[in-house]
Amino acid sequence: MSASLPGAEVFGRIEILAAERRLHVDGQAVALGSRAFDLLAALVARRERVVPKEELIEVVWPGLVVEDNNLQVQISALRKVLGTQAIATVPGRGYQFTVAASPAATATAATASASKGVLAPGAATRGSRLLVADDNKVNRLLLCRSLELMGHEVASADNGRSALDKLRTERFDLLLLDLEMPEIDGFGLLAQRQADAALRDVPVIVTSSIEGVAQVARCIELGADDFLHKPVNPVLLKARVDSSLERKHLRDRERELLARLAPPAADAPPRAGAAARRLQATLLVARLGDTEAFALAQAPHETLELLSSWSTLMLDAIESHGGLVTQLGGDTITAAFGIAPQADAASSALQAALEMHELAALFDRERTAAGRPTLAQGIGIASGEIVAGEAGTPRRAAFACIGAAVQRAARLEALATQRGGGAVLLDDATHAALAGRFATEAMPPAVLPGGTKAVPVHALKTA
Amino acid sequence: MDPAAIDPHVFDELQANAGADFVRELVDTFAEEAPRLLAELRSALAAGAAERFRRAAHSLKSNSHTFGATRLAERARALELGGLPADAAALDALEPEIDSTRAALQALARA
Repeated sequence: MSASLPGAEVFGRIEILAAERRLHVDGQAVALGSRAFDLLAALVARRERVVPKEELIEVVWPGLVVEDNNLQVQISALRKVLGTQAIATVPGRGYQFTVAASPAATATAATASASKGVLAPGAATRGSRLLVADDNKVNRLLLCRSLELMGHEVASADNGRSALDKLRTERFDLLLLDLEMPEIDGFGLLAQRQADAALRDVPVIVTSSIEGVAQVARCIELGADDFLHKPVNPVLLKARVDSSLERKHLRDRERELLARLAPPAADAPPRAGAAARRLQATLLVARLGDTEAFALAQAPHETLELLSSWSTLMLDAIESHGGLVTQLGGDTITAAFGIAPQADAASSALQAALEMHELAALFDRERTAAGRPTLAQGIGIASGEIVAGEAGTPRRAAFACIGAAVQRAARLEALATQRGGGAVLLDDATHAALAGRFATEAMPPAVLPGGTKAVPVHALKTA
Repeated sequence: MDPAAIDPHVFDELQANAGADFVRELVDTFAEEAPRLLAELRSALAAGAAERFRRAAHSLKSNSHTFGATRLAERARALELGGLPADAAALDALEPEIDSTRAALQALARA
């Protein structure tokens, strides 16, 4: 890492100078709008979690009524500057800044002089937020001090009830729990934690000078991660804390990944109503071509990263134009326009397609510059009457769109992908609905893949 | 002052790990807490509250171990595990031990 600027927060290639509202990427100053900067600062400050859109809007446009679109535009602007992966979209939940802080700039253990080498912060888990629950003031102060010297942020509670209150209202990565406490003791807290899914996410290390193996066993049975006898040996403390935090971070990452992979939950779409409806809609299907060959030739993580980045970008483009993503299939995305009342579904779909085309080109340039392979995308758009509604089992429902237009959009996409090179193909109905507002070109009628007779095909002119 | 009341190895280790300045504050906290714990022991005994008594003795034991005050820790442990005593004799004997431990710790912390 080259010499970073004083006061800068460093995240890989990204350097943020909050006081001066300046941003450097790869050592170069980057011009960023003031909203975009506020948004970046808000995401960075909350990087340990997924931040809901409403919260970001409230921070960046305080007191103003702002549509999601404005936020998505700013997110896109940030991604163009920071790289696609820097900000993840978690469908239905919000956004998260994903770049890890670089160690050199964030070491906060200013009093490290007191600590021996063994207490130096562990790279993976440093900067976690810990809660110490102990009614004994000497023990509490000492434990807080030891953990702070390891580079963690530490809060404390002097009884079980106050610890539970804190756990329910603030975010913690780990709880260090004494057993003998007034109000609610350590066992009582562990029992309440077992009954509460949200609290179970926070691992617990019990620290106590209680005697007898039976009590230790009881803690473990009640779900504690580990047990440390008091007085706590600092080397053991660090080893156990690091290990618990590492497991917690792994679980967090897994959960986040699952949240991103899961299809939009039934409550995520602008509730069209569980009952099925018949309506006019424009369907858009986008696909990355030949991912099978790509997956065979590349390392698995390379393939997944490509698909995640691509999905993230396409999802944003679709949602920012009022589209509803009905299927997210790794290399394929299906979206419907006109499910939520929309003045001009066909135009919105075309605007989304144009933006998707542009973002895909940008994404390709970014990957090419990094010496990484790219894939062409094809988009098919078709309009017509469809049946839409929730379908599935009570445990897992999906928003389904059925109709000839859905099939046609998929077949147009297949044709576009076959022809390679980023074509956006439209059916006749969509072309008619656009009434000349987008530059298109009539193609010779073609038999679509899977179809039987030749149909009119139009191509969107993409500059 | 009675240096033999403190295990120097434990105390040195504490200073090395937490920092001498911090240990000085921690000793001052102990100096405030220990007499309170003694008062709690007396009041629990007077009220016949065995659990409160055990808990206060447990805290005193735990703190003593932290600083390497092994003798005081032993006495506190005997109280923790022994149930409510018949009279206050054991507590009367505890008081000078607390005082000398406190003095020894403060001297070591400022050495």
